[in-house]
Amino acid sequence: MNDTAKRMLGKAGPFFGLILVIALFAIPGESREAFLSYHNFKIILTQTVIVAIGALGMTMIIVSGGIDLSVGSSIAFTSVVGALLVKHGWSTAPTCLATILTGGVIGLLNGTAIARLRMTPFIITLGTLGVARGSAKWLGDNQTVNYDSSPINGWMTTPDPFSYALPAGVWVAIVLAVITSLVLNNTVFGRHIFSIGSNEQTARLCGVPTQRLKIAIYALAGCFFGLAGLFQLSRLRQGDPTVAIGLELDIIASVIIGGASLNGGVGTILGSMIGALIMAVLRNGSQQMGWPTYFQEIIIGLVIIVAVFLDRLRQGKQA
Amino acid sequence: MKQTLVALFLAVIAPLTGADAYRIAVIPKGTTHEFWKSIHAGAVKAERELKAQGVNVSIIWKGPLKEDDREQQIQVVENFVGQRVSAIVLAPLDKRGLVAPVESAVRGKIPVIVIDSGLESKAPASYIATDNREGGRIAARELGKLLGGKGNAIMLRLQVGSASTEAREEGFLEVMKKDFPNIKLLSTDQHAGATRDTAKAVSENLLNRFGKQVNGIFTCNESGTAGMLLALRDAGLAKGKVKLVGFDSGETLNAALLAGDIQGLVVQNPMKMGYLGVKNAVAVLRGEKVEAVVDTGVGFVTKENFNSPDMADMVRPPLDKYLK
Repeated sequence: MNDTAKRMLGKAGPFFGLILVIALFAIPGESREAFLSYHNFKIILTQTVIVAIGALGMTMIIVSGGIDLSVGSSIAFTSVVGALLVKHGWSTAPTCLATILTGGVIGLLNGTAIARLRMTPFIITLGTLGVARGSAKWLGDNQTVNYDSSPINGWMTTPDPFSYALPAGVWVAIVLAVITSLVLNNTVFGRHIFSIGSNEQTARLCGVPTQRLKIAIYALAGCFFGLAGLFQLSRLRQGDPTVAIGLELDIIASVIIGGASLNGGVGTILGSMIGALIMAVLRNGSQQMGWPTYFQEIIIGLVIIVAVFLDRLRQGKQA
Repeated sequence: MKQTLVALFLAVIAPLTGADAYRIAVIPKGTTHEFWKSIHAGAVKAERELKAQGVNVSIIWKGPLKEDDREQQIQVVENFVGQRVSAIVLAPLDKRGLVAPVESAVRGKIPVIVIDSGLESKAPASYIATDNREGGRIAARELGKLLGGKGNAIMLRLQVGSASTEAREEGFLEVMKKDFPNIKLLSTDQHAGATRDTAKAVSENLLNRFGKQVNGIFTCNESGTAGMLLALRDAGLAKGKVKLVGFDSGETLNAALLAGDIQGLVVQNPMKMGYLGVKNAVAVLRGEKVEAVVDTGVGFVTKENFNSPDMADMVRPPLDKYLK
């Protein structure tokens, strides 16, 4: 395969996948009308928000050659923190800021441990996965944290369910995706992330401050995870310490389906967003088709394998 | 120093030798649901009553570290057997997975009382639980009545392999098919998954497909009901436009019931399970006979009967009285 074809496949692969899964559910007659409605795509977009925002942070981490397994737990932890703050009478703006920063602090701790102690991201974040989950249960006193009402509750829904407006959360995800994509591709910070993902030694020799950069990446990604936690809170209208178990795998899968490489140095925000959408469309469609649950799991698993296979094809020559 | 050591030694060994000092381990499936808090409260209630009667009994409350983790619960049981507790009250996460550790406990002369969910073994001295199948039947009868015997209904399942909710689902389908032939079941094969969030996503997808046709919905546990409730509200189908009959009680569900977003809840009596679990464990230890199977009963709570005293233990368990 020549280079141009490979580049084309890399860019178009995820798009192609998304169109393929939509087409898959659009062909059969009975559920087609409900599936292909604007309203249904509004549901799919809303269901993608949390995974998408998590995937923004995860893309940066994976491009830099790292991994973060603690996302699901961070989302649960920050959503419990947010719920507690609302319960204690904090107003909306400080609550949001504190919730996002809580995620940032978890990321900062991850990044510091990884960069300064020179430990594998896999191990460090596997540890944080447990620490954050346990702390969430501790903070929530082993229960869901309930509060009366808050403006936050309205961010993942629209007052009239059948209106054409999209919930605020969807817009936030889209705007952040555009900004993150610009930062990754057009700033020194962004290019440095690619450079340490491609070859950390070379990057350091070229004067990239690798340690500080890693800490910054994990901390910034942590802020994204905190924001995802905030939207999780908005969706459930309560802080649930047991929410988002295993969500880290969905988020990592989105990034990989979107064409990023677990070896680092490769990945796009657009790809990751499409990856997240592919998984949401698959769930949504197969539920409306009435496919059994196990079948849905098998399909999603196969999609991940196919995506990684395409990744190998693309990188064939380099490897 | 020597005295302290002797005292310490006695303190450690006393529970093992003292004839009337019973240490009873109570092991739930998880610790985060309100349901398990009620079982805990019931166990504490039994402990206090027995103490008042002069029986030296203490309960040890310990769930698996992670919810729904069978391996962890097996380890908890094994650890208690290793500590030589007097008896174990267990809500098994799996009807087969927990058989081996329970049978080895019983062989070690530690009686086991099973609560909440069944265990496929003859070793436990007593089984105290809700008749889940009957709960499902009640839900079907009530939903059938709410729909006037006609229309379209959806049943949202919980998870593959969960014995108690599968029994509810079967009971529901049994009555629906037998007594309400004019109610069409639009979807009965989707699973809500473990949390409210997964349940909400599945519910949204189902409502998008069937929202215009559906008249009534049955969800078979707390998180499934809460997820469906959120989805109905978001889709503008709450307030009785679509009738929702759920299972279990809790802060969120009770409020929605009173607000008219849920038409009825089949409620169990977890406090009674915890209470009778400990009571029966002590009875077995004293060599008394206990019933092999105890049904703790279910109730159907609606907006109208919510405040009646019959429902108090089921919908408003006095947790603070026993757990604070």
